[in-house]
Amino acid sequence: MLNSENLKKRMSEVLSVAPELVQDGALLQELVVDSFILIEMVIDLQNTFGVRLNQEDLVEVRTVNDLITTILNKKK
Amino acid sequence: MKIKPLTENERWILSFYRTSEISGALFFGRLAKSLPPGPIQTDLTKHFADESQHSWFWTRCLQTLNSEPIKLETAYQDQYVAATGMPANIMEVLGITLIFEKRVIGQYALHRQAKELNPEIAKTLDLIMEDEKWHIEWVTKALKCMENEYGADHIDQTLKRFYAADKEVYKKTVTEHEERIQGILKYRKD
Repeated sequence: MLNSENLKKRMSEVLSVAPELVQDGALLQELVVDSFILIEMVIDLQNTFGVRLNQEDLVEVRTVNDLITTILNKKK
Repeated sequence: MKIKPLTENERWILSFYRTSEISGALFFGRLAKSLPPGPIQTDLTKHFADESQHSWFWTRCLQTLNSEPIKLETAYQDQYVAATGMPANIMEVLGITLIFEKRVIGQYALHRQAKELNPEIAKTLDLIMEDEKWHIEWVTKALKCMENEYGADHIDQTLKRFYAADKEVYKKTVTEHEERIQGILKYRKD
């Protein structure tokens, strides 16, 4: 089910970071060692939750909450 | 047979190729692991295996020439995300891959033309370039298959954007490492 909690849980699994680190204000770039892992995570979230994002959707995305909001808005 | 020792510049460029192949392998490996079953998962897994094998070829080439790879912190493709923005879906990932693979084969072909090229390096370049042709082929086909889903025009625009970014990244790389790669730069056409 697509909601903020499940998105965070999946992010934590794909990034292999502790769930408590996946906070709303956490910067995505600081959660990963390289940006290629972020690409993998974004694609995984789309496959898992049946959403499609484009590059333009991510231009303003910096934090965990930015990404969650973008995905939830896409699903509407 | 006496082996002509590698210069430090040659050692650096072969290490640069090796690092780039390792980065490619790690990225495609992670992606192949996370994709659902299907033709893209299959080809991406083979692509991952090839990149991994190529990094071994460069390691072996360096060692055959009585040298060792230099540990480099960043790979060529690390600059892509900064230059193009982060690809967000599988079409964009394949788009950037296609442009990158074309750059790789172009670079390897250029290196292959270098004067008095060490036969071990020539052999390694030939081996890798054969696989690179297949990489371009499968990604091109996969993107063609995505036209119904993403739109042919949108894919075309995405490729143009990535191509422009790649030109910038290549120019920057060449400028930054001009001294190291001057031996093969003289064959560059653009």
